Amino acid sequence: MKGRVNAGLIAGGVLVGLVVAMALVSFVWTPHDPELVDAANKLREPGDGYLLGADKFGRDTFSQLMVGARTTLYVGIVAVGIAALIGTPLGVIAGMTRLRWLSELVMRVNDLVFAFPALLLAVMLGAVYGAGTLTAMIAIGVATVPAFARVARAATMQVMVTDYILAARAAGRRRLPVAFRHVLPNIGSMLIVQASVSFAIAILAEAALSFLGFGTRPPTPSWGRMLQESQELLFSTPRLALWPGLAIALAVLGFNLLGDGLRDYLDPKLRRIRAER
Amino acid sequence: MPTHAGTPLIEASDLTRVYHRPRTSLTKPGGAVHALRGVSLAVQKGERYGIVGESGSGKSTLLRLLCALDKPTSGSIRFGGQEITGLPERRLGFLRRSLQIVFQDPMSSLDPRMRVRDIVAEPLVALGEPVGNRVTELLDEVGLPAAAAERYPHQFSGGQRQRIAIARALAPRPAVLVADEPVSALDVSVRGQILNLLADLVDEHGLTLVFVSHDLSVVRHVCETVAVMHHGEIVESGAVDDIWIEPRHPYTRALLAAVPTLEGLL
Amino acid sequence: MLSVEGLTVRAGAVELVHDVSFHIGPGERVGLIGESGSGKSLTALSLMGLLPEGVTAGGKARLHDRDLIGVPESKLKDLRGRAMSMVFQEPMTALNPLMRVGAQVAEVMTLHGRPRDQARARAVELLGEVRLPDPAQVARAYPHQLSGGQRQRVMLAIALANEPGLLICDEPTTALDVTVQKQMLDLIAEVAPALLFITHDLAVVASVCERVLVMYGGRVVESGPIREVFTRPRHRYTEGLLAASKLTPRGTRLPTIQGSVPPAGQFPGGCVFRNRCPHADTACEKVPALTGEGHAHACWHPADRG
Repeated sequence: MKGRVNAGLIAGGVLVGLVVAMALVSFVWTPHDPELVDAANKLREPGDGYLLGADKFGRDTFSQLMVGARTTLYVGIVAVGIAALIGTPLGVIAGMTRLRWLSELVMRVNDLVFAFPALLLAVMLGAVYGAGTLTAMIAIGVATVPAFARVARAATMQVMVTDYILAARAAGRRRLPVAFRHVLPNIGSMLIVQASVSFAIAILAEAALSFLGFGTRPPTPSWGRMLQESQELLFSTPRLALWPGLAIALAVLGFNLLGDGLRDYLDPKLRRIRAER
Repeated sequence: MPTHAGTPLIEASDLTRVYHRPRTSLTKPGGAVHALRGVSLAVQKGERYGIVGESGSGKSTLLRLLCALDKPTSGSIRFGGQEITGLPERRLGFLRRSLQIVFQDPMSSLDPRMRVRDIVAEPLVALGEPVGNRVTELLDEVGLPAAAAERYPHQFSGGQRQRIAIARALAPRPAVLVADEPVSALDVSVRGQILNLLADLVDEHGLTLVFVSHDLSVVRHVCETVAVMHHGEIVESGAVDDIWIEPRHPYTRALLAAVPTLEGLL
Repeated sequence: MLSVEGLTVRAGAVELVHDVSFHIGPGERVGLIGESGSGKSLTALSLMGLLPEGVTAGGKARLHDRDLIGVPESKLKDLRGRAMSMVFQEPMTALNPLMRVGAQVAEVMTLHGRPRDQARARAVELLGEVRLPDPAQVARAYPHQLSGGQRQRVMLAIALANEPGLLICDEPTTALDVTVQKQMLDLIAEVAPALLFITHDLAVVASVCERVLVMYGGRVVESGPIREVFTRPRHRYTEGLLAASKLTPRGTRLPTIQGSVPPAGQFPGGCVFRNRCPHADTACEKVPALTGEGHAHACWHPADRG
């Protein structure tokens, strides 16, 4: 579906691309081992192989950022994946069913989950199953289900009133094939946009959880924890907070821009001027 | 020319359809909309039956009921002598095979994410019938090149999209073609193409045609019999030529008087 | 009163309206006929300065010696709603759903300097002039409480509130039922000052206007008094359009224009109609100029009749 390539899409794409590139490269190479505690290089200033300097344990900031990008992306992918896999079917069912009560039930349960603070959920899960990246991902994922269910339902309801759905029914198609063949492809673009936005939120959530100590456990690098560790040295060595903070901000910005850009790109009404009449 | 003897192919008796509006107050139930108030009609095999009505007349509701896309509040519909009201979807296969519909808006009646090939073959796939060469055959019948099968709806003009919709409707070799304002959304210069196509196909395949429109003059060109609808009821029905010359119901008269015609004005 | 010369409308590199010229005298009713892609709506929108983002107009258009093209928004705001106004096709979307109807009619007057209470009183009067029953009651209603036909009348009231010299109607009755349409057309014929009536329906335009312009592919292909143009069309497109509008007896084939309207920017060079015209030949590769006084046409092989 051709659309108008816009500034948001490009900017977002570039930023997200950078994060992905950093993560991918980190699998094959980082300037230094980000987990290696090296007292000799404690709080080393930037320069000479340590691009952004080192932290209080002597770990290279740049290497930590690169590996931390992996965590950021993992959490985003798993959380959004969980949310999409659970939320989409819920929303589609709620949107397609002709039983009012079923639609209402699903949406009210949805609202309940929505109202429950994600952070609290993560803390509770952490207390029971042990804090860590996995529990963080699951908690954030579950907390994002309502957003997906809502968008999926709204989009499904829009599709259900079109003539082509009526035509499919007139052709003899049953409910399930209609859902797969017609509804899902047509709500896809709205879900992709939601996914980008949720990705951004998931990144922030993970950073917050790591900051609070409920996210990624040390020594695995995480941007959120880097921020937390930089707290005590905030005034003496602000660069320790600056880089992870900037990374989080740019990643979130990138995904938001990408989401907006994709929405504009995929929305048929916003495409090139309808030059008829 | 059609025969008018024997059991009607489509028969509706005393159909009503009431919609309930959602509540706006806590104490009173929502209002009821009486879309159809006791409609009865009979379409013979091979007949070209027109239904004329303006917005709110109930013609779209009637159409959906005839196609079993909605259930009436009361009344019955028989297709080929068999009762279809109240039948669950899984028992309606025989209806789906024999009755197909072409919708008004060619832009929204084709799934924008599907290729033409899949759109046209859908009724066959849904009914579990083999597709084979049908798509190419059908595209040819409606005057589209075989290459059109690989493209998407938005790559075609309104008239071409209607042709695709007609091809889809013909796929299961139906006995009845229902057309809901098939040319109202098309440019004037293209309408004739589609109406001619429909006439050719109806002749060639011996189809029964149910043609719905708000335009009595178009119905007059296409159909021999017409039912005029107003506020959920059929106010007048019979041979189109008779009604055109001597409308009996005041609404029909008002309808005829309101249509601007070039001949009258120049 | 309204004179348009060489109006051109572009969206980027694509030309959507090309070299359109016409004039409308005070009290004259002129129709603009065309199908999708003809550029008829864009022509009207460019006169009102309401072109969408990315679409620009060139050429000259003057209303009462005031320029309309290439003029900053601040100058156009003055004219819009006062010297000239427009009625659109969709009554559902053209009215503010959250404002009472009477207030909307009054608003257009207060925007142009009328004091509030005068405007409110005049609004009720206007609603009566467009033949709405019980105007005081209607003034207090919200748009969704009115029918499509009633909403269109409200739009007409808004358009006429400041007594414009020119009223532009863009398919005002297309979304209405036939019986309602007739009433609306009668009303417009009665109350309109000078009128530019845009539609695709030949019979509708014939019932309201005296002169007509036929547009295809962004150009005026024929113009003249309606009676003449519709009984003795010169341009082959007009001829085809007229034939297609006449519904022949049952069982006969309907006349039609082969092919379909090309998408914007894909009209053929030279005569814009030549890829669909049964009389086209090599001469048509050159753009025909609009020739003829009174009844003008732009065709190398016009239909010669009488």
